[in-house]
Amino acid sequence: MVCWSVGVMERGKMGPKRQLWVLYIAIVLGILPCSSHAGAKVTGKLSVYVVNYPLKYFAERVGGEHVRVVFPGPADEDPADWVPDIKVIADYQKADLILLNGAGYARWVNRVSLPRSKMVNTSAKFKDQYIRTKGAVTHSHGSGGEHAHEDAAFTTWMDFNLAAKQARAIAVAYGRKRSTLKNTFEKKIIELEKDLFALDRNIKVLVSNNQSQPLIASHPVYDYFARRYGLNIKNVHWEPDQVLTDQLWMELQKILKTHAAKWMIWEGDPIQESIAKLKSVGINSLVFNPCANVPQKGDFLSVMQKNVKNLAVAFE
Amino acid sequence: MLDSLYIAWKYISFNKLKTTTLVACIALISFLPMALQLLLDESERQLMSRAAVTPLVIGAKGSSLDLVMNTLYFGDEVPELISMASVERVENMDLAMPIPLYVRFGTRGNPIVGTTPDYFEFRGLIVAAGRQMALLGDCVLGAKVAEILDLKPGDSLVSSPENLFDLAGIYPLKMKVAGVLAKSHTTDDLAVFVDIKTAWVIQGLGHGHQDVTRLKDPTLIYKSSESNVAATAKLYHYTEITKDNIDTFHFHGNLGQYPITAVIAVPYDEKSGTILRGRYLSKQETRQIVKPREVIDGLLQDIFRIKNVLDAVISVVALATALAIILVFALSLRLRQREIQTIFKLGCSRLTIVRLLLSEIFITVLISGVFCGAMIFTVNQYANEIVRMLFIR
Repeated sequence: MVCWSVGVMERGKMGPKRQLWVLYIAIVLGILPCSSHAGAKVTGKLSVYVVNYPLKYFAERVGGEHVRVVFPGPADEDPADWVPDIKVIADYQKADLILLNGAGYARWVNRVSLPRSKMVNTSAKFKDQYIRTKGAVTHSHGSGGEHAHEDAAFTTWMDFNLAAKQARAIAVAYGRKRSTLKNTFEKKIIELEKDLFALDRNIKVLVSNNQSQPLIASHPVYDYFARRYGLNIKNVHWEPDQVLTDQLWMELQKILKTHAAKWMIWEGDPIQESIAKLKSVGINSLVFNPCANVPQKGDFLSVMQKNVKNLAVAFE
Repeated sequence: MLDSLYIAWKYISFNKLKTTTLVACIALISFLPMALQLLLDESERQLMSRAAVTPLVIGAKGSSLDLVMNTLYFGDEVPELISMASVERVENMDLAMPIPLYVRFGTRGNPIVGTTPDYFEFRGLIVAAGRQMALLGDCVLGAKVAEILDLKPGDSLVSSPENLFDLAGIYPLKMKVAGVLAKSHTTDDLAVFVDIKTAWVIQGLGHGHQDVTRLKDPTLIYKSSESNVAATAKLYHYTEITKDNIDTFHFHGNLGQYPITAVIAVPYDEKSGTILRGRYLSKQETRQIVKPREVIDGLLQDIFRIKNVLDAVISVVALATALAIILVFALSLRLRQREIQTIFKLGCSRLTIVRLLLSEIFITVLISGVFCGAMIFTVNQYANEIVRMLFIR
């Protein structure tokens, strides 16, 4: 505006060509700030909030420099059990996209107000493949009839084929928000799918030697993993950093009577005491980290590749 | 001129009854059409402004007017309920952004609107005090509700029972006021907003209670087996959602089957809107999709038809009143023949006499105008409420 007035004021002293130049510069200077502002709105980074680390990894791989992915959960807590405070919920509400794992993961989502238009349930396309937890006790009160607080197993990304589908859902959501970048997201998702399918293939080949061998899982987080790769896994409820109680040990003994496992799969590095105690009954320990939270070293892919290496020992 | 007005005023103030009758007749007959027009303009503004910015509404087949009035103006008439599956259906079609609405319950005379935060963005509603609803049990008040009920963020508000005689029915829910919206000068000012899930808790579909599998009090357990625990009616259901008990709140079954009253569909573009409307045309379809603008247009046309009839009636009454007033003046002139002759004999010209009579008429009309103006001013002040009372609620 200022430049425009300057151009007009000095018109009397300039030739027509120079006047045109002044006018051109004035218009360019006037328009530039407006256009850069408008551009920021259209091409600015998408603010993406997620509920666990695998989704953060997929979202970052697919979105690249076009997204800012945030997982605000603390590093030392399982994202499945974490409950955000009101300030963090407000941040989720302000995001452009909220990526959910689905299958009942992060129960807090059902107890807060989030904009439905921004929520993307990455596992919605394979809802029919959810694994329902068995043995839920039903209860009844009032006129509602019997009902159970039944849950689905939620570590869907442990089946790398399903993980690829979740990543694809993210790419589709990005494409909707930034239609001009659809091709870029498509290229990135193909690269990510390639990595996930490679993991999938490797595990399939690896376990084919002895697929039916009995295994024990320290926590019931391997349901999708077991189903995809046809593994014979039974679960206990042990924590890697927990000293084993007699009751937990008895539960294991009971399982071992019908399920002669030689390997126990742990979520994280178990304490030496647990390793030794298991060894005493002929059970070895291996770590297959579900990587639900941000790893201390590496990323989702490197952690999973290490997991595959760890698993290989049990199937040699 | 002032002398004529003075004498006319003296005459008018002496004949109080006659003047009052004339003033009342003129004031009322002028007030009626003007007030009617004012109210109609206001109703058109109110109804149309909101309908014009609400592209499409999906609801159960039935009265489209009830559906639109409930969805746009939170009217008392609750349309037949539909399920959340209707929202998922729109989502899956990928043609529009669906915003669910569940307008069924109330609190202290104000409607409780169950929705998602998308609604606030869609209507451009801004939280003026406090914060946006975040947790189950939070509510955000419309500006006028907060003003009338004298509530501020941090206070609480209890939902009203749907039926006073349903003693065994659901418990009212104590909601926490999270925020107050800035004035929008629309129906939103008169509503209490909650998350759709909170609306289901109000209905009793979602609830919080002790874990029945860990009950220690035997009087709370009616029957217990390995696979089922049946609790007695003594099992306490929480009536307020707090930080301590929020984790016990849960919903049973498929949320897709949970009830709502309508879905506002905001198409991504005109073509998507047209395709979306086409998807609801089948005869077997149990849902209807309506353009609120068209429904309100129909309503306004009905109102205007009634207005035309009223206009005709008022015109006839006005004509009769005018004739009556002329008759009153004519008779009055006859009765005042001697008085006029006396004025004439005192030396006043015929023009002065005419001026005197015109001054009387002028003052009478002026007083009527003032009364009429005052009444119109009052109606104008309360036009919003009157229109809501007459046409919306």
